[in-house]
Order: sequence, then structure tokens, then C-alpha cells
Amino acid sequence: MMFRPKIVGFLCNWSLPQEVNTTGTGIIQGYPKIRIVRVMCIGRIDPVIVLETFVKGADGVLVIGCHPPDCHYIEGNLQAERKIKMLKKLISRTGLEPERLRLDWAYASETELFATIIDDFRTQVAVLGPSPLAGKKPDENVLAGIMAAKAVTGDSRLRTLVGREKELIEEGNVYNEKVEQEEFDEVMNESIDEEYVRSRIRLLVKDRPMSVEGLARHLGLDPKKVLRHIVVLRHRGLVALDKIEREDPLYIALEVT
Amino acid sequence: MTVVSSAFKNKRRLPPCRAACPAEVNVQGYMALLQQGKFKESVELIRKSMPFPAICGRVCFSPCQDACSRKNIDQPVGIRYLKRLAADIEREQGRIKPDAVPKTHNEKVAIIGAGPAGLSTAYELAKLGYPVTVFERMPEPGGMMRYGIPDYRLQKYVVANEIAYIQDLGVEIKTGVEFGKDIEIDTLRNEGYKAIFIANGTQLSTKLGVPGEDLEGVFPAVEFLRDVSLGKTVDVGEKVAVIGGGNSAIDAACTSLRFGAKEVTVLYRRSRNEMPALPHEVEAAEKEGVKICFLVAPKQIIGEEGRVKLIECLRMKLGEPDASGRRRPVPIQRTEHTYGVDTVIPAIGQMPETSCLPSILLDERARAISVDQLTLETKIPGIFAGGDVVTRPASVIEAVGAGKRAAVSIDRYLNGANLRTGREEEIEETTWVKDWEKITRKSERYTAPHIDIGRQKVSFEKADELLTKIKAVATFEARRCLECGLCTECLGGEELCEADKAVVDETLCIGCNVCAIVCPFEAVKKNETGVAQVNEDLCKGCGTCSASCPERAIGMQRFTDSLILTNVAATLGEPT
Repeated sequence: MMFRPKIVGFLCNWSLPQEVNTTGTGIIQGYPKIRIVRVMCIGRIDPVIVLETFVKGADGVLVIGCHPPDCHYIEGNLQAERKIKMLKKLISRTGLEPERLRLDWAYASETELFATIIDDFRTQVAVLGPSPLAGKKPDENVLAGIMAAKAVTGDSRLRTLVGREKELIEEGNVYNEKVEQEEFDEVMNESIDEEYVRSRIRLLVKDRPMSVEGLARHLGLDPKKVLRHIVVLRHRGLVALDKIEREDPLYIALEVT
Repeated sequence: MTVVSSAFKNKRRLPPCRAACPAEVNVQGYMALLQQGKFKESVELIRKSMPFPAICGRVCFSPCQDACSRKNIDQPVGIRYLKRLAADIEREQGRIKPDAVPKTHNEKVAIIGAGPAGLSTAYELAKLGYPVTVFERMPEPGGMMRYGIPDYRLQKYVVANEIAYIQDLGVEIKTGVEFGKDIEIDTLRNEGYKAIFIANGTQLSTKLGVPGEDLEGVFPAVEFLRDVSLGKTVDVGEKVAVIGGGNSAIDAACTSLRFGAKEVTVLYRRSRNEMPALPHEVEAAEKEGVKICFLVAPKQIIGEEGRVKLIECLRMKLGEPDASGRRRPVPIQRTEHTYGVDTVIPAIGQMPETSCLPSILLDERARAISVDQLTLETKIPGIFAGGDVVTRPASVIEAVGAGKRAAVSIDRYLNGANLRTGREEEIEETTWVKDWEKITRKSERYTAPHIDIGRQKVSFEKADELLTKIKAVATFEARRCLECGLCTECLGGEELCEADKAVVDETLCIGCNVCAIVCPFEAVKKNETGVAQVNEDLCKGCGTCSASCPERAIGMQRFTDSLILTNVAATLGEPT
């Protein structure tokens, strides 16, 4: 039997086709089957929610809003676009295929376009096969990655960057210096890399203390880099020295209150 | 010293379109419904405010469009066209048939005149459960909507359909009953009517006051248009002169063309800028071939063997502004000139028929009914009046506005409540936009696809396809609405949308201001203590701030993170 992917579609209230029962969740009758979750605006989709949806076992996540520049909330769709862009980059580091997440535009009246988008995305996800997180035994490595990513998206650095993207590019920073898109993307990529690794480290040392050497081996990274992250994490008060075993200092995560 | 405190006034905050509408139609609400492609629902929403969506979609002077904030960016949203389209689709695909409202009150209400004012009062009172009877002199109800506006602008079946809706609600309409002859105030009272609303309109044409007005071939516009609507053939000859610059003048001119006139000239004593007729109607008339002469007024009508032959006119110039704010026309001496005409149609105004009314109801000059401006009550308790008979010739929507106000008064009167309490309103126009320069996104839009349908005969399949396209263009146009009003304008809590609000957890907020940057409506800002604060009047509940807050200090009242995740879990649990 052909693999039938479980796809969660986040749809904004204003681009939702009439056929959908609007009480909350629902499956569009007569459409290729996807599982609809209605929100007022796709700008509402917190990256944490998307990642949690994958943890819950979705094979794909489809976000549909109105075509820019139209939006019931002026630019909620563009806000969503920035978040999804960041999320795809972050997901690509976790081992989950970023192609499992897609953002697309359609008006409520474009019922044919809806069907096409959904069909197309289903095919794409079907080719990728079941999500490594779906089923009874999720892939531990990918799960660890997604949990780390979830912690990152719940933390302030990337959220601040995404939130300020428009202002920095269009209006400039506090010194009235406009930031070029490429420059911003560079900063964003760097931040994603750093924060993702730091998040992985924190989760790894949550229950048992580990050395820099051990962490580097586990993450497949240069120990010098790991040490630099440890310094930052200690500075932020997120990780502390637990004990010294032979000559190696072992680190452990601190509970954040 | 007494100061009238505004505290007694009922403060309301409305978007500009709704504030401008005499009937306060919830434009933002039905634009939102149209954005979702819900045509029938949008018509039902309009009907909550007034019973004539299709009529107003055709003939309204659309103050909403003039007020539309969108004009600060490009053009106002095409509100009237959208209303017409929605109403036409609803009618053609089967009008919603309301159930008769149960009569929960015993007090009978009589309404004189089945025009827009009378019918909308009847509509509102019927919805409240009053037994209402409308008395109409003409053979069909509708008033000026039926007998004053020609068919090419407002089709009779459109009027009939919207009146049928009012009848479905349980309003009784008795036609062919003349007030002052068949019925009078006293007889109505004896028959048990506890309240009476007089809305008999303005049925008489204002006299030109020039010699020759009684010649054969002079048809006052009201009578001319009424005869045409009654199906009588009117011989207008080849050359027609219409006097006046209002909608009736333009209607009479275009109707004359349809009756075979070769040359139709509208003579107006002021200039184009002062014309009260709707600009697009004037434009359409000129396209049809109507000639308009400005700054010309008739001096006399000259006949031959009792029939019109020539009209002598004087040239005018504009002087100082008069009471109406328009510049007063002043005749220029010795500029007499004549036009050869077969028919003259004076359309310079209308007056109420006051002979059928008790003189106590009339104003000092006995030219209109005098009422309390707020409650529409006349000098006799229990008798109310509104519409053209009070205001002099106005528009459908103004009459509807008066009808709604009268209905509130009548309901209060019959319940023994104070007619005035809490009714004085102060309306504040709202819009979330503070800097029009900044709203660039919305002006970047591409233009709506043009659909050329013309007058082709099409197959049913093709017609269906075209309708789908038209609907798409309409939803597209509705999306141009900026939603100036409060979130609840879009019917919070009803089927359309769930009003949501952002809530800040002050203990988590670090004052980073990201919420203020992402909020499209400038609804959230740091207060003086450096903590984000949501302005509930501006927040529309999109939740973008909540999804962006770096400290996750902002949550939503309804669509909380956990609700969304519960929905996700629920939908994933459903079998495919």
C-alpha cells in the first residue's frame, strides 16, 4: 500500500476555504486529505508550535496564508514567512528534512489552487517517506535535534532576530544604519548554528555531566568550538562545572528558574 | 453656568465607512465575509442594518466610499459595487427566506407610505415582534424606489424582491389606500393602532415659477417618472429640455432618450461642481448623449396653441455662497436666448403633499412635518414622522436611517420608556493607521483581473465559469479593505471570526519592543515603566506578537499555544 502521509495544515481564518468546518480542526471534504488547524493569522504560528507538531508525529506541516501583499492583518503573512524561513534553516540541522515544512499562498476563493498546493505537498512528503519522528519508535538522534531546535526557537536570540528583521532591513538599527539582506542572513545563519549547538549541549548535559572532549565526539565537532560554546553557556548561567574526572572538567546544565 | 456634559452622550467608535452611513451598515463586517467568499452571509449581515442591500447597491450615493480610508493610499474600496454583486448573487441563487417573526407585542403600529423610510421602520419593528401595517396609496409598495427611480437604474423586480423579504418577516402592506382620504389619524387610532409613523414622502414637484408652466408638454419630473413606472407611454416628442441638476433631472433626461427623444438637454443654473446628481450618473447620461448646459435658468416657457414650443432662458453667473454652501446663481441681464422644445421637464425639487396632514404637525412655513430631530416624534405624542416628508428630498439610505431611528422611538414609546435617554451619540472614527506614508505594502497590489463579459449569450457552463471569476474579483476587491474599525467590527464571537486579544505577562516582559515592531496595528507598546501594554481598541487578535515575543511574555486570550497544540493533537489523532 502506498504511504499516506499525515499532514497538518495551518490555515489562516481568512484564506480558509468555505468547505472547512470552522470550529477548529477539520478535514477538507473533497480535498486530498490534510488535517486542518485554523488560526486567525499565520503570523500566529509560533515556531515552537511547528516543531511540536513534528514531535507529535506529523509527516509534513503546510502553512497557507493569503497572497502578499494582501492580509487581513496587513502583513501577518510576511511575518510568518520570516519565521518559516528561519525554521527551515534550523530544521535542516536536526536531521529532519526541511522539505517537510512548506509555506504557500492562496485565497479562500482559490479552491483549485488549494487542491494543487495540497496535492503537490503530499506527493513531496510521500517521496520522503514517514517522518523519522512518527510511529512508535522515533529516531532518537532526530528527536534530540528537534528538541534542541525547539528549545532554541523558544529562546530569545532567534526570536528577537526574526522579529527585528523587517525593521533592521527596511528602517535601520538604533544608529539608523540599514542592514543588507545578505548581511542579515549571514548573522541569522551564524546565530542558528551557534544557538542550535549550544542547545544540543545543554540537553546532553542535562542529566549527566560531560567533558568538552566527550561532547565534541558526540556532536562530531571540533573540541575548540565546543569549548567556546561552553564558555558562553557558563557565562549565561546555563551550564556549570560539575566535577573534574581525572584531568577532564565535566559540565552539567543548570536549571533555569 | 451650565455645561452640557458629553458624559451623557453615548460614545461609540466606528470605522469611517460605518460612521458615514446614515443606516450604520457594518461595512467592515461584510467586507470580511466577502474576503472569505461568503456572499450570502454578507447580504444577511447587511440586512441586520437595513433591508435594501440590492437597492442601495445600485442607487446609494455611498457616503461610505467617500469616507473610506483606503483613499489615502490609492482609491476607496468599491463598496457599493460589492454590495450590489453580493445582493444580486444572493437573489439569483435563491433569496434567503426568513421565517415570520412571532408577534410578541399586542400594540399595532400603522405606517403611512411604503417608501424606504416607512418600510425600514416596518422592518425594524417587525423584527422586534410588533404587528405592523403599512398603508400605501400607489398600487405597488416601494415609494420613490419604485415610482421615482427609472427601471434602467433600479429594476422593479429588485425592489419587489427586497420588499418581499420584509413581508416574509410578517409586515402587512396594504396598497391603494390613500392617507387623508381612505384613512386618517383618528380612524387609525379607532382601529387600535397605538403608534403611527408618517413617511409619505415628497410627491409634488416644485413649481418653476415662470410663465407658461401650465402649457401642454410640461411634465414635472416626479409625475413624468411615476407615469413611466406605471407603464404609461409618454410622448415626449423629439426635443426635450430638463430643468435641474439633481438625480431626478438626470433620470428624466435618460428616460426621455429611451422614449425616443432625439435631443435631450439638461439646463442647470449652477456649474458642474455644484450639481447634486451623482457624478457617475451624470457621466453615464452624457455618454448616452444627454447634453448638459450649465449656468442657464428658464425665464419663461412660450407656447403655441396651448402647447410648448420654445423655452426662453437667461445665462447665470455664480455669486456668493448661499445657505446650502453652494455658490448662488445670479442672472446676467440681457442674455435671453431661446431653445426650441417639444417637452419641458422641470426637476428642480419636490415638496410634501401637506393637504392631507393636520396642520398641527407642520412647520411654520407649512412645507414639511416638524419633528424632534433625535426621536422623530411630532407634536402629537404617538405620532412620528421621517424620511423626505421631514428632510425634503434626500436619499434612500438617509430615509432608512430615519426609519431605524423612528423604530427605536416607537418601541420605546409603546413600552412607556423615555424616548431620549442615552440616544445622543458621539461617534468617533477609528483607524489604526497613523502614518499613511508607512502603509506601503497595501499599495503594492496588482490590479484586479479585468473580466470582459459584455452582452454575449453564453452557455450555462460558461456563465458558471464567469460567475466564479467575478466572485474571485470581488473577494479580491474586498481584500483592499484596511479594517479600520475595532476588531469586533468583524463580528467577534460570531461565526465569522473569534475576537482574540493579546495578553502580556508583565513579569516576563523585558521591554525589548519586538512586539511593537511586529504588530501591524501599533496596538502594543512599551508603557512608561518599560513593560509592553496592549491597546485593546487597536488589537485585532492576529497573535503575531505572541508568536514573536522573545521572552514568550505575550499570550493570546482565545487561541492560546496550548489550544493550538490541542487542536494539532486532535487532528493527528483523526483517521484519514
